[in-house]
Amino acid sequence: MENKKKEFFLTRWIRRLLFPNKELDIYAEEQMQSPFRLVVKNYFSKPMSVVALVVFIIIALFVFIAPNFVYLDLGEQDSTLVNIAPGYNMLKYPKALEQNGVQDISVGNNYSIGVDKEGNTYVWGKSKVTKIINLAELPTDVNNAQVIGVAAGADHAIAYDRRGTIYAWGSDRLNQCTLPKELQQNNLTHTFKIVKAEASNQFSGVLTNENRFFIWGNQNFVDFTYDKEQYDGHVVDFALTNNSFVLLLDSGKVVKGGEHASTTVQRIPEKAESGVVSLASTTNTVAALKEDGSIVVWGAPTKRENKVPKFDSKVVKIVGGRYHYTALLEDGSIVCWGDDKYGQTTVPDKAEKANVEALYAGSFQNYAVDKDGNILTWGLKGFPLGTDNLGRNVYSRLVNGGKMTMTIGALSVVIEIIIGVILGGIAGYFGGVVDMVVMRIAEVVSSMPFIPFAMILSAVMGTKVSIEQRMYIIMIILGVLSWPGLCRLVRAQMFSQREMEYVVAAKALGVKERKIIFSHIIPNVMSVCLVSITLAFGTAMLTESTLSYLGFGVPLPTPTWGNMLTGANNSITIQNYWWNWVFVGSIFGIACICINLIGDGLRDALDPKSNRR
Amino acid sequence: MKKYLIKRVIYLIIVFFVVSLMMYFVYNLIPSDPALVQLEPLRKVLKPDEWQAQYLQLRAQLGLDDPLIVRYARWMGFIKDINGEFDGMLQGNFGYSLGYKRDVIDIIGAPMLNTTILNLVSTILTLLITIPLGIYCAVHAHSKSDSAIQAATVVGYSLPTYLVGILFIYLFAVLLPLFPTGGAKTPGSSYVGLHEFADRMYYMALPIIVLVFTGLAGMTRTVRAAMMDTLTQDYIRTARAKGLREKVVIYSHAWRNALLPVSTSIMGWFIAVFTGGSLVIEQTFALNGTGKLYWIGLNTTDYELVLAMQMFYTFVSLVGVLLTDISYTLVDPRVRIDK
Repeated sequence: MENKKKEFFLTRWIRRLLFPNKELDIYAEEQMQSPFRLVVKNYFSKPMSVVALVVFIIIALFVFIAPNFVYLDLGEQDSTLVNIAPGYNMLKYPKALEQNGVQDISVGNNYSIGVDKEGNTYVWGKSKVTKIINLAELPTDVNNAQVIGVAAGADHAIAYDRRGTIYAWGSDRLNQCTLPKELQQNNLTHTFKIVKAEASNQFSGVLTNENRFFIWGNQNFVDFTYDKEQYDGHVVDFALTNNSFVLLLDSGKVVKGGEHASTTVQRIPEKAESGVVSLASTTNTVAALKEDGSIVVWGAPTKRENKVPKFDSKVVKIVGGRYHYTALLEDGSIVCWGDDKYGQTTVPDKAEKANVEALYAGSFQNYAVDKDGNILTWGLKGFPLGTDNLGRNVYSRLVNGGKMTMTIGALSVVIEIIIGVILGGIAGYFGGVVDMVVMRIAEVVSSMPFIPFAMILSAVMGTKVSIEQRMYIIMIILGVLSWPGLCRLVRAQMFSQREMEYVVAAKALGVKERKIIFSHIIPNVMSVCLVSITLAFGTAMLTESTLSYLGFGVPLPTPTWGNMLTGANNSITIQNYWWNWVFVGSIFGIACICINLIGDGLRDALDPKSNRR
Repeated sequence: MKKYLIKRVIYLIIVFFVVSLMMYFVYNLIPSDPALVQLEPLRKVLKPDEWQAQYLQLRAQLGLDDPLIVRYARWMGFIKDINGEFDGMLQGNFGYSLGYKRDVIDIIGAPMLNTTILNLVSTILTLLITIPLGIYCAVHAHSKSDSAIQAATVVGYSLPTYLVGILFIYLFAVLLPLFPTGGAKTPGSSYVGLHEFADRMYYMALPIIVLVFTGLAGMTRTVRAAMMDTLTQDYIRTARAKGLREKVVIYSHAWRNALLPVSTSIMGWFIAVFTGGSLVIEQTFALNGTGKLYWIGLNTTDYELVLAMQMFYTFVSLVGVLLTDISYTLVDPRVRIDK
């Protein structure tokens, strides 16, 4: 007996599953079939249970494997990427634009406007700003006009035609679309023409062929004053950042706009005081291209916008996005620097090899047009499941939140099993006083209202700890509060098992009581507890998510399926931004349904009544 | 019977005090110092050592340095207060809410009424639907309609309440604007009498529907399982063998016995809903109920309010346990506990 090698129970199960004994006659089979195989057979005879098991395994694998590939940025937040609908259409320009030849492209927040050589205007991307305002709904004037240039802002857009008429549409709540008087007059008289237009988030600016500069929009946000008398007639270029603007004069000098404001962009470096050819801007920085092809960047760089790389040849053109710059060199190559979160500075090989003629950038997107008129794009295409109210990627939060929810559920069930099985086993085996004490404790714990108690524990214990510690605290709270059910089940099973012959035999052999309980009886009881454990896992996940939903589970910004739904708890989000709750809700709902179906299937499979022949 | 009940009541009172002691202990884990708060304005006026002396004196006066168990007894009203009076939970002093600047007892009236209405109506509705439905499923077990109902109930009890709430708001308040999305009454309205009641019911309709929907699944399954178990009993076979009509067998013999185990789970379920479920539902629908009050109290660290609410919850659940015991002995003559 001692020579016999002990076989680990799992390998034994698997061996029996995979290599069943030879076909036996019907009577022998009746006796030989192990209870475990019977249960498995029963379980797999129900298609519903099998489907539930498969779906659950798929979801579990998904949330445990995918987080390794889907990066979660806890500090992620961007006001321009808020509440974007799911979809990958941000870089999907219309084919007609490419066929007719690109005249101008401008990139706004998550949408782009293009004009072809025949004066037609196209809008693509997430152009729906509010429920009513959709920038893709062009005013009829724009559709009829021979547009030659466009500018896209956050929630408004501008276009100008050959004669110098300016069209503005979109949101006008901050006067973004209310043109200054002189421009309104010019729309009728056509005394001057427009050379360049640019739109920032709350204001816009245009440059005329008489080298005059006009700016309009939200005056409370940006200081529009500048030395009009001195500069008018000399402005050759301008750049708008998020909250300020700079002008380039014909002397090659960059001057600040806004006399009373003080932004970092207004502190113009010495290098930019002469020899500047053109300007480009990101949210908080301005870049000046000089005659010798070098570049000067100033302002408040947040994502390495000022780390200008070394160029092999002269820069001929520079454009800026939200946090990045893209430059076209004399030899036709393209260089990008700045933030690369959405691949906006990763120039594709195609664009490297192409003979790029025109370059447009903005927000997180880049467009390059080569000699043959083909449009090449790179940057942010869109979000698979949209973004939430802080501009965070719902997909990455869904995946990582699932991992969190499932981990917490599983570990709290483990804690529950440990406490429940040990206490239930002891109580059931010894009975008497031990049983009474354990059962009274169980009664006290189970008479405590679960969710309120878990909330106060989490609030009290979780205040001065790190997020990770708080996660463990939640697990322990869930485990410690939910063991009585399992404990009772184990105890009841214990009562019936301890009178069985094998226990008596073990006792007669002098096996220690601890060993009898945990090595002899508990393994026999576990199969019955399996149902309860499966259902407990579902309950733990539900409770965790409920706690997180109420704000007392895992705290933000760490995502869980529960606290992702907290943000969806208002009618505006429920109505307009359905992707915030539909995806999380459905995957969580499906996972819970599957667990419960698995539990039900197991119960039926284990039920001796269902094995009647 | 009497003996048993007295035994149970005594036992539950003990449990209540054990739980309240635990609660008090948890509450005292929060680092708070009323003496420091009271003396904070004097800190700059007095000299440090004078201040320190006064602080220690006040601490002693307030009894903050006494052992936990003494403070608990004072709070509960077992022993005399620092003022020499019995002034604790037992005397009806539930504490003072820092957030509302009022006694807790004055705040919890209206929310409790809301929560009680919400839960009672939804419980009654749920039972009215689930008991017949469960019996129907058991009688027609494994038929097509039974399987369909079973599948639906799995979905129903797997989904968390708040998700059902969000979904129902979307379906019945946004897509089909039948109900308001949240709130307890029409803002700015001052209806009286029947009109006020109608308005309140209109605002509570959707929460009640959600509670009923989430309750349906679990209860239907419980009733069905109990009924199926009963239908396999010998006396049912006997009744059928006697030639009784199936209706009589089911509605006279079977269902009363089947409801025995159900009565336990009704109470347990009601308590879970009253405490946890109402927390969620009131949060989702912005209803002014006890759950919402508890949530606000926890979020604003108004711990005296929280402690009082927690005691209330414990009380409710223990009374529930007692009622279950009583109903069990009343309904089932077999339960003899005179031993």
